[in-house]
Amino acid sequence: MAGSDTVVSADAPAARVGPMIFARLKLRLVAGNLRGDTTRLLGFIFTVIAAVVVASSGFLTMAMLRMAPAEVAQDAGIVVFTLFLVGWAVVPLLAFGLDDTLDPSRLALLPLRTRQLATGMFASSVTGVWPVATLIMLSGAIVGLPRGAGGVAVGVVAVLLQFALCIVVSRLVTTSLSGVLRTRRGRDVLAISVIFFILAAQLPNLILNRGLGGDPLTLLHGAAVALRWTPPGMAAHAIADGGPVALAELAVLAALTVLLGWLWIVALRRAMVTTDASTEAASVRNSKGLLARVLPDGRLAAVATKELKYARRDPRGRVGWFASLAVTGILAFSLGGQEGAPPGPGLAVGPACLGALMISLQSCNSFGIDGRSVWMNSVVYATVRDWRTDLAGRHLAVVTIAAPVLVLLALLAAILAGNPVWALLAVPLAWGILGVGLGVGALTSVLLPYTVPDRLNAFTGAAPGQGGIAFMGSFGAMIGTGLLALPVVLPVMFGLTWAVLLALPYGILIAWAGRRIAGNIAYGRYPEILESISRPA
Amino acid sequence: MSDIEEAVRTRGLFKRFGEQVAVGGVDLVVPRGGFAGLVGPNGAGKTTTLSMVTGLLRPDAGTVLIGGADVWRDPVTVKARIGVLPEGLRLFERLSGRELLSYNGQLRGIPKAEVERRAEELLRVMDLTDSADKLVVDYSTGMRKKIGLAAALLHNPAVLFLDEPFEGVDPVSANTLEEVLRRYTASGSTVVFSSHVMDLVERLCDWVSVMNRGQIVAQGPLEAVRGGRSLNEAFLGLVGAHAHGNGGEGLSWLGATPS
Repeated sequence: MAGSDTVVSADAPAARVGPMIFARLKLRLVAGNLRGDTTRLLGFIFTVIAAVVVASSGFLTMAMLRMAPAEVAQDAGIVVFTLFLVGWAVVPLLAFGLDDTLDPSRLALLPLRTRQLATGMFASSVTGVWPVATLIMLSGAIVGLPRGAGGVAVGVVAVLLQFALCIVVSRLVTTSLSGVLRTRRGRDVLAISVIFFILAAQLPNLILNRGLGGDPLTLLHGAAVALRWTPPGMAAHAIADGGPVALAELAVLAALTVLLGWLWIVALRRAMVTTDASTEAASVRNSKGLLARVLPDGRLAAVATKELKYARRDPRGRVGWFASLAVTGILAFSLGGQEGAPPGPGLAVGPACLGALMISLQSCNSFGIDGRSVWMNSVVYATVRDWRTDLAGRHLAVVTIAAPVLVLLALLAAILAGNPVWALLAVPLAWGILGVGLGVGALTSVLLPYTVPDRLNAFTGAAPGQGGIAFMGSFGAMIGTGLLALPVVLPVMFGLTWAVLLALPYGILIAWAGRRIAGNIAYGRYPEILESISRPA
Repeated sequence: MSDIEEAVRTRGLFKRFGEQVAVGGVDLVVPRGGFAGLVGPNGAGKTTTLSMVTGLLRPDAGTVLIGGADVWRDPVTVKARIGVLPEGLRLFERLSGRELLSYNGQLRGIPKAEVERRAEELLRVMDLTDSADKLVVDYSTGMRKKIGLAAALLHNPAVLFLDEPFEGVDPVSANTLEEVLRRYTASGSTVVFSSHVMDLVERLCDWVSVMNRGQIVAQGPLEAVRGGRSLNEAFLGLVGAHAHGNGGEGLSWLGATPS
């Protein structure tokens, strides 16, 4: 491989390095990733099937806009095109961080001109299941939007430009952030920003649910007016318009794509000569923490304080807590918003119990976040009791944060529901469910452990090939907790309010039993647990 | 040599990953006291063997005795007796160096005041006092090896297992590690470590076990294993790697280009 003007030896003519080489490299990497690993192969097949379904249904939906009134079709086109662009800018960042094929620094040592690198990276970026699916979906607009022959001709160009724009923007974003993303702090910030992405994705749902915008068509039109002059808005408008205005819009779009491509090349050139900016490490506060002062010196205190530090310092810990509370908030908000529901203690009890369930679900893979470092505990623990104490320490840490949080949640929900006294019902029940959840979670932690990747993303919380286990673990924990909580929840639901007095002792009992059984299992199969939580991810 | 004089003895240790036999019947012997080196090319099974010996990986067959106690039958005795620095430096990344040591000490059931005293001394000896309150995730490779070794030494184990302790460590840190380990073995404790660096093994070890393709191909006092040659020569002979010499065949294009 050599640049066109370098002299190689006489008997080896320099091969031209075109974009195709990069596309083939990408395909080779994809194929290499799948070799000899059935779960990954199945995952890939599943992805392909999903992409085919998404692409064809997307294409059909876009094409069916033909049947809608011209204006509605144009509005929908503008909004959808904008969503595609935003998606391409954000999703690769959150979902994959930097994937190996596209990290320019890995190619920095090869004698490639920046232009070759840029076209090559563009080629490798469009080689993939999802780019092709995107192109197919966008092509639906050629059928759905135009109202004349001119529109179809313009449409082909507009769709290609919009597609190129998506790819270039996505590359520009990852390349310009690649320096930041290679530092620990940058990745931490990104991991936490995942949570805002999840929340943002819930926004339209909430708006529709609460009926804030009124008529969906008005809402659509409002959005389309706002997005009309954005580049994807212009692309969609051009297809619908098909006249001279459309040609002008296409020119603007093409110029913009070239400009962004140029910016990307500049960013690429800079990224290739910038070394990993390592973060100047700051010292942490060497605080003992309240729990450490209260607890007797020993293993329980060690594990519990370590867990509390992790909840604070590990982005995955923070994301976990934020996510539990956010999901609870969203569910409570949308459930509470339904009209016609009679106000009652249920509106206070429901969110609190939901919060307890959500928080306890974080513990359905207790050892996962520690990952490979659990060896440090394994080389020490020599008895069943040691493992039980470890689990108890983890539970203690969760309860330290969750107990006051649930009180606040219950109070808030009760006040919103109309009677603060209902919190007296909600708090013990929520605490009880937390106990049940922790007990069940202890079992899933030792029976279905999986690796939580360092680089958290919004779409999967497990290492490649372990998605199934993660799914079974969290759903098992959720269903198990739900079923085991019934003995205390049902009586309260049917009006036997004194039953809340039993909720807390019942929760403590289940948590204790869960730890007891899980401790036995962990003692028996800790090498296997260690292996499943130490997968490369 | 009776079991009591042996720090480590394995019999028929066997581990298979899928089709691949990683460790095929290893009888590792390490006498008590001093340095023992476990050497072998990449993929020889050193890490797998050390993981099974320290109770982190379950062997498919075979037994492991440490000071006469079985790792899998009598974990209480064995785990109190050993210190481990596994490969890959898997540490609790979000604790500071000092917190990592105190966490480890408390897990071991050492009283807190004693843990703090030992941790302070270890941090000083390892030259980590300035970075003691930084998160381990921000440590360099050398610092990680040092804090890992400090954690492994905290409970004063009788046998220390180190997987590639000197890999990727700068000369200054390597010197520190070496001094600490020498002081540790001077009192009769045992260090078992795997390494690629033959000079280092030759300088430190009194006992060497050579692994290749999941087997022990030579084992004994350093002098006996190297048999008058340098350890490097002996090693290359044992693992069947032959020097290719000047190699008239192939690579003819490599070197300065005549212009």
